[in-house]
Amino acid sequence: MPVFIGQDVTRIDALDKVLGRAAFAYDLKTDDMLFACVVRSEKPHALIKKIETARALSMEGVAAVLTHIDIPGENSFGAIKKDQQFLAKDRVRYVGEPIAVVVGVNEEVARKASGFVRIEYEELQVISDPFVSMTSPVLIHDEGNLLSHRKVIKGDIEKGFNESDVIVENTYRTTWVDHAYMETEAGLGYMDDDGRIVVVSSTQNIHYKMKEISRMLAMPPERVRVIQATTGGGFGGKLDVTVEGFLALCVYHLKRTVVMRFTREESFLAQTKRHPLHIEYKTGARKDGSINAVRVNITGDTGPYISYGETVCLRAAVHATGPYEVPNVHVDSRMFYTNNPVAGAMRGFGVPQLAFAHESQLDKIAGILNMDPLDIRIKNALRRGSLTATSQALEHSAGLPETLKRIEPFWRSRERQNDRRGFGLGCMYYGIGNTGVSNPSDCYLTFMPEGRIALHSGVCEIGQGSDTVLMQILCESLAMDDEKIVLLRGDTDTSRDAGSSSASRQTYISGMAVCDAAQKMKKYLEKEGYYSGRPLTDICEAALGKGDAMFEGHFDPPTTPVDMETSRGAPYATYAFATHMTEVEVNEVTGACRVVKVHAAHDVGRAVNVKNVRGQICGGIAMGIGLALMEEFSPGKSKSLDDYYMPTSMDMPEVEAIIVEDREPTGPYGAKGVGEPALIPQAASIVNAIKDATGVEARELPCHIERLKLLLEARRQK
Amino acid sequence: MLPDFASIIAETKEEALSCLSSLERAKVIAGGTDLMVKMRSGERYDHIIDITNIRELDGIAVKDGVVVIGPVATHARLGSDAAIRENAPGLALACSLVGSPQIRNMGTIGGNIVNASPAADSIPPMLIHDAMLTLESKGSSRKVRLEDIIVAPYKTSINTRELLGPVEITSLKGYREGYFRVAKRATWAISRLSVAWAISEEEGTFKDVKLAIGSCTPMPFRAVKVEGLLRGEKRQPGIIAEAVRIALEEIKLISGIRPSFAYKLPVLRGILENVLGGE
Repeated sequence: MPVFIGQDVTRIDALDKVLGRAAFAYDLKTDDMLFACVVRSEKPHALIKKIETARALSMEGVAAVLTHIDIPGENSFGAIKKDQQFLAKDRVRYVGEPIAVVVGVNEEVARKASGFVRIEYEELQVISDPFVSMTSPVLIHDEGNLLSHRKVIKGDIEKGFNESDVIVENTYRTTWVDHAYMETEAGLGYMDDDGRIVVVSSTQNIHYKMKEISRMLAMPPERVRVIQATTGGGFGGKLDVTVEGFLALCVYHLKRTVVMRFTREESFLAQTKRHPLHIEYKTGARKDGSINAVRVNITGDTGPYISYGETVCLRAAVHATGPYEVPNVHVDSRMFYTNNPVAGAMRGFGVPQLAFAHESQLDKIAGILNMDPLDIRIKNALRRGSLTATSQALEHSAGLPETLKRIEPFWRSRERQNDRRGFGLGCMYYGIGNTGVSNPSDCYLTFMPEGRIALHSGVCEIGQGSDTVLMQILCESLAMDDEKIVLLRGDTDTSRDAGSSSASRQTYISGMAVCDAAQKMKKYLEKEGYYSGRPLTDICEAALGKGDAMFEGHFDPPTTPVDMETSRGAPYATYAFATHMTEVEVNEVTGACRVVKVHAAHDVGRAVNVKNVRGQICGGIAMGIGLALMEEFSPGKSKSLDDYYMPTSMDMPEVEAIIVEDREPTGPYGAKGVGEPALIPQAASIVNAIKDATGVEARELPCHIERLKLLLEARRQK
Repeated sequence: MLPDFASIIAETKEEALSCLSSLERAKVIAGGTDLMVKMRSGERYDHIIDITNIRELDGIAVKDGVVVIGPVATHARLGSDAAIRENAPGLALACSLVGSPQIRNMGTIGGNIVNASPAADSIPPMLIHDAMLTLESKGSSRKVRLEDIIVAPYKTSINTRELLGPVEITSLKGYREGYFRVAKRATWAISRLSVAWAISEEEGTFKDVKLAIGSCTPMPFRAVKVEGLLRGEKRQPGIIAEAVRIALEEIKLISGIRPSFAYKLPVLRGILENVLGGE
């Protein structure tokens, strides 16, 4: 029997994508479709006095202009809390907030007419800085401007510093980053023959969106169907409701097919961004290099709505020490509302920002103690038996020491080709799945009349490769060729809720759900004689006749909620670990930093698809280069990819991906996850490499050519 | 979205000139890598005249030390053309750094000139080659120096009835020639700063220096004061430092003090020191 796990199985979506056959949400169309576009707030903070739609409505080809009054159910959505209005009623809190939807016979008509919807505002005082928000009498929400304050407390922080020989204290800053997926937000909605609302969109989570639409339209969820189109990237930006609510509302009123496609400019203006964090970081260490105390104060700008702000707040806090065993920890993580763009989920949920800080701190301490940066990491690395910052004991699959060991030969033999080159290390750990909450995945298997098995999966394939990985897991579990299996994915009508494609959770959690279903089906197949040669077609036919048709799979990772005061607990069932070693070359004349080579060692538990893991690592490195060196979203200034620089293939270094497999006993065939881990340590390792090459310490990201040159100039003048 | 317009594909220069003379709100397109972007953000024309099919506006020829470049020659072509690489290697390099492969395959040298961006990659190298432009309209023709035609950022003195004809540049064979630009990433980026140079030296003495700087001033400019200072001087650190100082002073004089100069001027100093020092 062929083996599927650990093989370079070609991705099942590869051929359609390279041949251009895959229909992305942006490509969807029908002959009679209408086009809808959004009228957005031009004010960052204002009361809406009047919305005038008559002129737009009277224009030729305009089918409807919808506002908050047209929403039959609840005018609110939100992944964590329902605090955001689909269409603003009486107040707007950021530039780009939706106020009306204009539907026309085509894009030109709709966009033109949307310019004639007149909004009368009464402007309110604008808060554009979290430090102003902190004490301002101007409240963005009645409950106050503090969204969330989470703490991590372990040991005795004062004693920890008192007993430290070296103390290093620095402030680190990061800014907004756009997801900049290749495909902007898009989708198509229609009414099916039964009068149900159907939305096909570019999304990371179909069941969540079905529920939001159902609440908005005051319709039972079974009257709503959400289908995932081929999706051109997510990175967290398509977790929130984007086009789905508007499409459903248009279909509800017009009973016609309606399409929406955000322009790049619109996506930049109105969609969520990575949280800018201000991180005050104090580290105490003993002479032998062991970290004794970590005090972190995180202040984040979450924009005017929650989105995933609370998640980022907590995740940043519990990962703040980095992958090291620290006896005394005190972290304060606070998110404040502002009238800046809504900051939401983006690959890593705050952890890449923290990695930049803790890895810079560690190199600084190593420098003072005259220790090798690798040695200090080996000394402090979390390993089996360690207690994390939340006092969770790591009982298994803790492969950080192994990633360091695999990097070690490259590190020890590193040589500067010229004096502009430098090397840096970055380590990370990352909890797989949602933080301290139940986040189950469900799936089921059925027999098909034509004699095959169907995997019903609600897991959104967003380019990360989940379709292929889940199929590999199923094939392996059933010891069955993939030709006998049909994947029915991404349709709320034919699948159960698998949770979002986020938090690096699908391989681990949905993979286990598939294993669970497969084990049940395998027992049945054994009983029915499949493994002793009875044809599957026979078994299918008989099973369907008897009504033995469905095998359910379920997995919810074992976690405990974290304590509200100390975050003590086991917020994740398992963690991924990684070490990156990056070589850079800095042009001291121009301030340009080129990433030359990256060695990236990742403990993924088990690589289900080796090629795909390598692909994720390369993608994470590319995004890390953007975070470290280029990407800077300035509200009001960054309008499109014309003025927002992100890496191209020409900025990619040579990558050596090293896969470490410290198997996770609760994961499918030992697998954990790699989606976000691939990115997290990269920016940190670049910053440390720049320090090695030039002696300058970047404390603010991105360290783009101008910032780096100014740092070099300041050093020269010293 | 793109506004409505009528398009004309001209097959001969006469046809293009006649369209330009008779049609209102007409605009020439030669690749469109700038024009389409502007039109998408609201610039409107009633007629778009495509000249890329016109044979006599294409091609590259060398005669008596003068290279004649057809205005619809693409950046890709200029980047790889043997005559350009031999007679104006800095221009070939600059063109090969424009945008992305797609932009280089569409964008043309004529388009780069008439767009008159302060950051245009091809302009500084053409300035050091004393580029001379031919402007034609129905029934007349005039010759103008490239540096005289650009009057402000993105503005030229070419009138709406005129068509840019061949661009003539003088060969600088025997010069040490180059082009260096600073951009925010490895490719597909607008130059933050660019320098084109051609230097002829004999036994450590500057015989002739040609220097043009882009993205620091409203229009890329020839640093003629620096050129004059260095001509005939021995190449040594003192005079180079003086040359750099003058170059920076001249930029400040032209542009005033700009916030971006905190970055640009130290970078330019480093580049000029390397270039003039022979590195």
